[in-house]
Amino acid sequence: MKPLICLYFQVHQPYRLRDLRITEIGQGDIDYFDRVKNEQIFRKVAEKCYLPANKLMLDLVETYPDFRVSYSLSGVFLDQCKEYGPDVLVSFQKLAATGKVEFLAETYYHSLASIISLEEYCFQISKHVHTIEELFGMTPKVFRNTELIYNNEIAQIARLMGFHGIIAEGADAMLQGRNPNDLFRPPTFRLPAHREKIIRDHRPLPKRARNIAVLLKNYKLSDDVAFRFSDKSWVGYPLDAHTFTDWLMQSGGHSANLFMDYETFGEHQWEDTGIFDFLRSLPGIWEERGIEAVTPSQVIAGWKKDDAHEYDIHNTISWADMERDLSAWTGNHIQDAALHSIYALEEQVKATQNPQLIENWRKLLTSDHFYYMCTKYWSDGDVHKYFSPYDSPYEAYRRYSHALHDLRARLNP
Amino acid sequence: MFGWEYPPLHLGGLGVACQGLVRGLLHHGVKVTLVLPYASETEDTDVRFPTDIVLQKLHVQSMLQPYSTFESFEASMRTVSKGNVDVYGHDLEEAIANYTETSVKMTEDLQPDVVHCHDWMTYEAGRRASAHHRVPLVTHIHATELDRTNHAPNEYIYQRERVGFEAADKVIAVSNYTKNVLVQHYGISGDKITVVHNGSMDLPPKAALLESKRACTKKHPLVLFLGRLVTQKGAVQFLQMASNVHQLRPEVQFVIAGHGHMLEELVDLSCSYGLQDAIIFTGKVTSEEVKQLYTQADCFVMPSISEPFGLVALEAIAHGTPVILSRQSGAAEVISDCFVVDYWDTAKMADCVLTVLREQPLAHQLRSYAPSVLDRLTWQNQAAHVQSLYKNLTYCSA
Repeated sequence: MKPLICLYFQVHQPYRLRDLRITEIGQGDIDYFDRVKNEQIFRKVAEKCYLPANKLMLDLVETYPDFRVSYSLSGVFLDQCKEYGPDVLVSFQKLAATGKVEFLAETYYHSLASIISLEEYCFQISKHVHTIEELFGMTPKVFRNTELIYNNEIAQIARLMGFHGIIAEGADAMLQGRNPNDLFRPPTFRLPAHREKIIRDHRPLPKRARNIAVLLKNYKLSDDVAFRFSDKSWVGYPLDAHTFTDWLMQSGGHSANLFMDYETFGEHQWEDTGIFDFLRSLPGIWEERGIEAVTPSQVIAGWKKDDAHEYDIHNTISWADMERDLSAWTGNHIQDAALHSIYALEEQVKATQNPQLIENWRKLLTSDHFYYMCTKYWSDGDVHKYFSPYDSPYEAYRRYSHALHDLRARLNP
Repeated sequence: MFGWEYPPLHLGGLGVACQGLVRGLLHHGVKVTLVLPYASETEDTDVRFPTDIVLQKLHVQSMLQPYSTFESFEASMRTVSKGNVDVYGHDLEEAIANYTETSVKMTEDLQPDVVHCHDWMTYEAGRRASAHHRVPLVTHIHATELDRTNHAPNEYIYQRERVGFEAADKVIAVSNYTKNVLVQHYGISGDKITVVHNGSMDLPPKAALLESKRACTKKHPLVLFLGRLVTQKGAVQFLQMASNVHQLRPEVQFVIAGHGHMLEELVDLSCSYGLQDAIIFTGKVTSEEVKQLYTQADCFVMPSISEPFGLVALEAIAHGTPVILSRQSGAAEVISDCFVVDYWDTAKMADCVLTVLREQPLAHQLRSYAPSVLDRLTWQNQAAHVQSLYKNLTYCSA
């Protein structure tokens, strides 16, 4: 059987921190974030990726009646669109207007709240859902947690919030030989009453979903495009759209879920690698060969609970690094100290009811801040270094700790 | 191998590096004949040294002495009138000529596979020995004249260095930083230069030491500088940083350990910054005192203006001390768990010091993670790189 193809692209930009100094702490209304750098990076990625890729996608959905894609746009990305890229926002709105593009829900601040504060987690998802409704005129029904952080409880919480689908990593160790293209569901169980109550009180969607489907990322096929496309030492190089389609068809199951960062197009893989031409040629080939590219909701529409395998995840997984766990954001002393300190301020920050202060606190919850503090492979020049705007994990912590101290100073003047 | 100081007379620098490399090579079964400019006793290798006449000459001028006291030459060059510089330069040339003559002669009957020489004063000897034996020449650069003089080189020395690099089949630089200096300022092709970072003699700190440091909160945290008091080492920058820190945290204690011709100037400067009660100048320190200082320090700062490597950084790390390094150093290339700042950015340097002193989890992580570099950069590992370079050279020329 030919699988469906489900394309979902992650779009996110954090607010990177400025070179803060101790001497500024407590000096009044200081800006923590590097406006110049954030704007520069946003515009660079907009020109190289967002704008040309959106133009191409619009062309493709208009040319091929059955071609569909989906996006998850973080709230802080949408905020930066308003500040630095109204043109980018408009291009996403044009895509939305075709009615062939699905937008997923996520935490507004691209945070790690799911593993720390349920109340904040609910708030951020609600805020995100409402923002998507406002900007794109549609209500997200499928949820993707920050960096595909996932476990059984996160799936249950998403169901109780009202989502009928959730995205997760198809981790080999968890699949145990099963095909990630198959349909999966989480084990069902009740959450403690007080946690259910928190979710009820802050539910982003009107009512809980009866069932929730889990769509697993086919990481092999996804990474063929996202990471290996321009790798000359790779046996599959150069990747041809026909060959890739063969692989997709051979992968079997219900749907081949290709999930990746949107920056793959034009930013991680530069235009001169041929990545745009590759993308452009896929829908035609798929149409010829009778393969449909659908949205996550369409995948789920063909889903029956009884057909689904159980995806039983006790220890939290994610799509990050080789480990596929939380060790990109937690685990070393500085990451743990920073995470602990920022969430410890939650109650106090919220009690101030000062919107500016609360907003600053929330921007500091973005997972990237902790990712930049990761020391796992720093010395090997790994992806953490590639993605970091700072010199080192310690520089990331220096700036972050200054922001934290200033926040504390504002709370206790 | 034409080297200096065996066993080393001074902490840090060339002597230590030569000893480490020789021991590492011996470990891998490489036979080393070491040629030194003066007598010394050692059990682990074949050592030859020139005659007493040369020795005497070297000592009389107190110039052809190794790296650590090299500044005395520099200092004397600065204090003598221009006319006399020629005289001294002439004498220095002569001393080297004698050293070269004798050391080449006494190694005539050897059958080396490679000739390896360390820093400029041995380069001519190396060049001639390699020509005589018709074997490849490796010149090892531990510090260039540009590093020592803040880019105001003695032309004679600079030329000697350049000629040495050009004559070599391979140049070993102690860091990418130094490699870049050779490429940019000596016009040496990058392909010819292999970077072999210095190794460390020290073992990583014991867990108990790290724990005791973690448990200890001091009323007067200590920030340490250790190095010769010369422009190159950045003691002035250290004082500027100290002055910034002092304004926010007057209880912080600073120590400048080491001696050099700038001592008086630095003392004056520290007073003008109002640091007189917050700073201690130790003068010359013994190796035991150095250990004590490293262990007691809460933060070690190496603000060098130009530092080919910076072994002191590894020594501080071995004593469980967080380090802040000048970006203009080789050590910053190999140490991951540290702060790196431009030597001139003393405000940021101060901010890093203050952050390390304020944030316990940060200090603990720097103390406990940084020593992994010591496991990686052992002299055995580094000598293995040198050995494979020898193998490539002798294979190619065979």
